[in-house]
Amino acid sequence: MSASATILAQHLLNGVLIGCAYALIAMGLTMIFGVMNIANFAHGEFYMLGGFLAFYLVSLMGLGYFLALPAAVALVVALAIVLQHGIFRRLRDAPMMTTTLVTIGLSLFLEHVALLMWGPQPQSIPTPFPTTPLSFLGIYTTPLYLFCMAVTAALIVAGHLVIRKTKMGKAMRATFQNKEASALVGIRIDRVYMYAFAFGAALAAAAGAVLGGFIPVEPTTGGVVTLKAFVVVILGGMGSFVGAIVGGLVLGIAEALGAGYMPTGWKDAIGFFAVVLVLLFRPEGLFRRA
Amino acid sequence: MQALKLFAAAALLALAPLAVAQETVRIGVVQPTTGPVAYDGNIYVNTVKMIVDDMNAKGGVLGKKIELLVEDGACNPAQSVNAAEKLVTRDKVVALLGAFCSTSTAAMMEVAKKHKVPHITGISTAAQLTEQGNPYFFRAVATTPMLGNAFGGVLPAAVKAKRFAFLVLNDDWGRSMAASYPKSIENAGGQIVATEFFQQSDLQFLSQITKVKAANPDAIVLAANTQQAAALSKQIRDLGVTVPLIGEGSWTSDSYLKLAGPASDGVYGLVEYVYTIKNPINDTFVKEFQAKLKENPTKFAGAAHNAIHIMVDAIKRAGAADPEKIRVALEKTDYNGLVGNIKFDDKHQAYGQTVYLAHVKGGVPEVVATAKIAKP
Repeated sequence: MSASATILAQHLLNGVLIGCAYALIAMGLTMIFGVMNIANFAHGEFYMLGGFLAFYLVSLMGLGYFLALPAAVALVVALAIVLQHGIFRRLRDAPMMTTTLVTIGLSLFLEHVALLMWGPQPQSIPTPFPTTPLSFLGIYTTPLYLFCMAVTAALIVAGHLVIRKTKMGKAMRATFQNKEASALVGIRIDRVYMYAFAFGAALAAAAGAVLGGFIPVEPTTGGVVTLKAFVVVILGGMGSFVGAIVGGLVLGIAEALGAGYMPTGWKDAIGFFAVVLVLLFRPEGLFRRA
Repeated sequence: MQALKLFAAAALLALAPLAVAQETVRIGVVQPTTGPVAYDGNIYVNTVKMIVDDMNAKGGVLGKKIELLVEDGACNPAQSVNAAEKLVTRDKVVALLGAFCSTSTAAMMEVAKKHKVPHITGISTAAQLTEQGNPYFFRAVATTPMLGNAFGGVLPAAVKAKRFAFLVLNDDWGRSMAASYPKSIENAGGQIVATEFFQQSDLQFLSQITKVKAANPDAIVLAANTQQAAALSKQIRDLGVTVPLIGEGSWTSDSYLKLAGPASDGVYGLVEYVYTIKNPINDTFVKEFQAKLKENPTKFAGAAHNAIHIMVDAIKRAGAADPEKIRVALEKTDYNGLVGNIKFDDKHQAYGQTVYLAHVKGGVPEVVATAKIAKP
């Protein structure tokens, strides 16, 4: 392969890796938005908690890496259920402004609880993978990156299947379309909400736990993650699962190629510029909610 | 009766700070104890507290105890201004230390000027801070251009490299690094083959690294603090780049070395202070720091050590806890401390101190070259 083709391939691989992570995080956000009509500004904090809990389970409790990841996700799910019961269930009929403000408050609360509990130092999750990079035709990656890609891709497919094939997924989609009508035909809205919130939080936490191996996590990490997730969700269409998946990959690859062939100072501008364009010309997003 | 009691209590409360103010010398500290650089900000605060406790145990200054008042500036200019205002107007401090981020310091030094209170920063390196002729502001650390002038000349020989790439934070620090190092590197026979930037909020740098790699450098010069420094060192190695990394920022701190793990091996740090330097002041400092704070002091601890000592030294020479007298004494600073001799030039910029090129081997940063900050 010529040198420039190798570089292009490396940029594409970088883009897919990051894009998968974006997609996974955004899927949870769009699910919570679509089903519960909540713009969850605390979504990045679930990512951050997933990362921190995985770190603590591995390095302090001595749990195996592959056991710690699901355990960290389970703990975040437990927290999400408590939050859903304690807060969001009571706000089911509240206007969106109220729930939005609550999630902003929640994000500050979780960030500062993490700061109090674990201190401000960033942490990196120790992984059992060898750190020597793998190379193929001059394109480099590591076992950890491949693992991340595999896990995020598998979770995206699994999430998609849950929504498309299971009874709860059907109930979610029904609630999506019409809350009152779903309640009338006997769907327990509170339960659907709880599943949607827990599932959305689980996806974000899984991303945090997996990416924490090469992206150090600290209490303030959540803010950036929330912002990126919103970019993806607006790109893909608020409430659209396919939109979140495609939007995540598009943003990841666009950022990688954009930074690769334009001055790197513009990297973040690319995503936000795309959002402005989408809002101007296709405000419902690239994919309508389905 | 109840009302009278309340009144008496209120009166007592109102008088209490006055009574305290006469017994202590109050120094205000504004540092980010929350926000993006909270970790490093807390190190600064804890170091100053430790040193002041020590000074107080030895009798304080001017026969009074030193009282520290710490406020959180969160690396946010507005919050740093509010914090400084509160320290000066309500707590009546006679001197200010802070802030961390240059933008916050720039905002805070205006408060110092308005209320005529001497102010030292030990961390903020943006060149323009000392260019404003603010008579109350002093900087006890070299600016990035000064470091660039001092280090650029020694880099090609010290790391045995010719083709240098820059991968730096996209802010005034990183930008001024990319503007000041190249000239002295080129004078010393090196050449610059790429300059790329990343944002404060970036967590992964794969695109930038791929681009830098394509330029085929012999060494990469970076500007980053702990979290990004660790992520950068890992991700650079992940993409198969094996050339030496030379970093300004937290590249020799314990937290970085722990976070980056094996990826930190062979990294060079361009630092104003590293805990492995050999002198009696540092030996005592490191021993006490390790005992009380359970880690090795970082460059931010070093900055705190310089700032508080220079300030207290000036208060001692001023002979009174009077802001104007302290300011005049600060101008005549001739302080021999942790990193050698420090004086201020007529713009209140420190010079004369030693800076260090440290090479990390097996998790320990060892000094391999030093340079002196020339009078600007």
